[in-house]
Amino acid sequence: MSKFFKLLYNELFKTYIRKSTWVMYIVLLAIIIGGAVITSIFEDEIVTSYSDDNWQEELTQENEKLIQESEEEGGYIAEMNSSTISKNNFHLDNDIKPLGYGAWQYTYENASLLSLVSLFTIIIGAGIVSSEFKWGTIKLLLIRPISRTMILLTKFVAVLVFALITLIFTLLSSLLVGAIFFGFEGFDPYFVTSTINGYEHLSLVGETFSSYGYNIVNLIMMTTFAFMVSTIFRNNSLAIGLAIFLMLSGNMIVAAFQKYDFAKYILFANTDLKQYETGDVWIEGMTLGFSVTVLIVYFVLFMALSWVFFNKRDVAGH
Amino acid sequence: MSQVALELKDVKKKIGKKEIIKGINLSINQGEVYGFIGPNGAGKTTTIRMIVGLMRLTGGDVKILGKSIQSDYKLAAKNIGAIVENPELYPFMTGWQNLMHYARMYQGVTKERVEEVISLVGLEKVVNDKVGKYSLGMRQRLGIAQAILHKPALLILDEPTNGLDPAGIREIRDYIRELAVKDNVAVMISSHLLSEIELMCDRIGIIQQGEVISERAVHDESTDSQLKVIFEVKQNDKAQEVFEEKELTIEKESNKLIVKLDREDIPNVVKSLIEKDVEVYGVTPIKATLEDQFLELTGGNVIE
Ligand SMILES: Nc1ncnc2c1ncn2[C@@H]1O[C@H](COP(=O)(O)OP(=O)(O)O)[C@@H](O)[C@H]1O
Ligand SMILES: [Mg+2]
Repeated sequence: MSKFFKLLYNELFKTYIRKSTWVMYIVLLAIIIGGAVITSIFEDEIVTSYSDDNWQEELTQENEKLIQESEEEGGYIAEMNSSTISKNNFHLDNDIKPLGYGAWQYTYENASLLSLVSLFTIIIGAGIVSSEFKWGTIKLLLIRPISRTMILLTKFVAVLVFALITLIFTLLSSLLVGAIFFGFEGFDPYFVTSTINGYEHLSLVGETFSSYGYNIVNLIMMTTFAFMVSTIFRNNSLAIGLAIFLMLSGNMIVAAFQKYDFAKYILFANTDLKQYETGDVWIEGMTLGFSVTVLIVYFVLFMALSWVFFNKRDVAGH
Repeated sequence: MSQVALELKDVKKKIGKKEIIKGINLSINQGEVYGFIGPNGAGKTTTIRMIVGLMRLTGGDVKILGKSIQSDYKLAAKNIGAIVENPELYPFMTGWQNLMHYARMYQGVTKERVEEVISLVGLEKVVNDKVGKYSLGMRQRLGIAQAILHKPALLILDEPTNGLDPAGIREIRDYIRELAVKDNVAVMISSHLLSEIELMCDRIGIIQQGEVISERAVHDESTDSQLKVIFEVKQNDKAQEVFEEKELTIEKESNKLIVKLDREDIPNVVKSLIEKDVEVYGVTPIKATLEDQFLELTGGNVIE
């Protein structure tokens, strides 16, 4: 094994040997299983399969029921139902058999779990440097014939590998749990979903990956931010707190400054790349190229600051 | 031929406006055990942190086998093994996992070498236990193990005897002498207690307020010059008469008698005491000159 991989192995070993890391996976699994249980119990309108020769009739019946319900209840429910009805009509008009609810659909919906994956990655990223200081083990780590740059790099890469493993874990357990509870739709199912062009018939697997992918941008940026804060201040609580605060208030910050031109340079105006797919951009004139450039500049800045502080500072007593 | 393993040239450290290390010069040869003695706050740990590359020097240079820690970090660090202050290892990992973790940071440290080091420090039985459960003595041994995994030319131990009982100290002394004699390792060992490490050192440097104020070989002292011997006896008056007869200088300290005499004379004096029916409970030699000097230099506040 090369030096880089041996050091990466060390960092991952130290991460995964700890119980607190395993708790994260248990929490994720519990939520995924719990979500499936709740969905199958409470969402009685979920249809896991439509019959091949009779689905048109089933949809028509469903629509009639929804119309009736809308008339009785009105308001919010009517609004929700009307979107389901127009989706059903899209199926009927275009002769596309609707996809029954299943593992992929469940996995697609679980993209919201990525904020939890982000939180866990932030916690790992905020601790990977500062914990060594807290434990006092930094001394025995930095007296080896290895540059500090290499140590810092392998620590950062270890955090990214943790994020990737956790992401894959979330994806695979959602698929597995979804398949057990709702059945498996196949390897490349297509579904109808609303986009800026109205309803479209799209690959569910493709949409799932793109949804997870869009979330990864924010995950990486906030993790890099937490990594930097904890490297500079050697304090993981501060790093976790700041990163979570910014993650939660990012959109509000952009909204508050939206009328100024400089707002487009705020990190959080650029982390949601989906805005270019939907066309609903934060500030007029922003482009995908612009956002990618801003993201790279922030990323390089965060890494450069971490590097400067980690490399230049004395490891003195407490 | 012994080569210089560690060389400090006018090493200085300033933190803020305070000059903590004021220009230290010293060199340690291969196979030599060097005691770095000074009261708490004298600057021992700061000097060691600079030698191992944890702190930057504000002046001077440190060379390990001729390689500067500043300009040739990797080549210099390859030849250093160290414990800096407490041996802090990963408490949630076993001794074995800790050692493998450090072994992966060098080229060519095999599993067999790790096993060899474990048996050298006698940790075979607990190597698969979590380090969090180790006693201080076990952690010190694991600390030494991680420091010698890669067979460094220079071993630095910062206060390794802290918190150890006399048996533990004796054990450390044995490893260190073995490493120095067998493997020609240069050892720098710091302590604020002269008495604890004096016996394992070839040479001693005394540091105070960031300066090495005195340096001397240990063995010349103990062989050439007079010792102080503490006599613990039941009949102090009778014993005093015996010493006076032999024209020896006596110092009294509470109910103990401290006498200056040559090492070779100890058996004779004891014999005379017994002939006079004095009941002897203890005869403890201390190396007079070094001890005196240390007390004098440091104001006597650190010898316990
Ligand atoms: N990071 C630091 N900032 C300021 N002063 C320090 C720092 N570290 C140590 N000192 C001071 O330097 C002196 C030497 O400390 P140290 O090297 O730990 O002594 P020793 O190891 O001999 O007990 C002490 O006066 C201590 O207060
Ligand atoms: Mg110290």
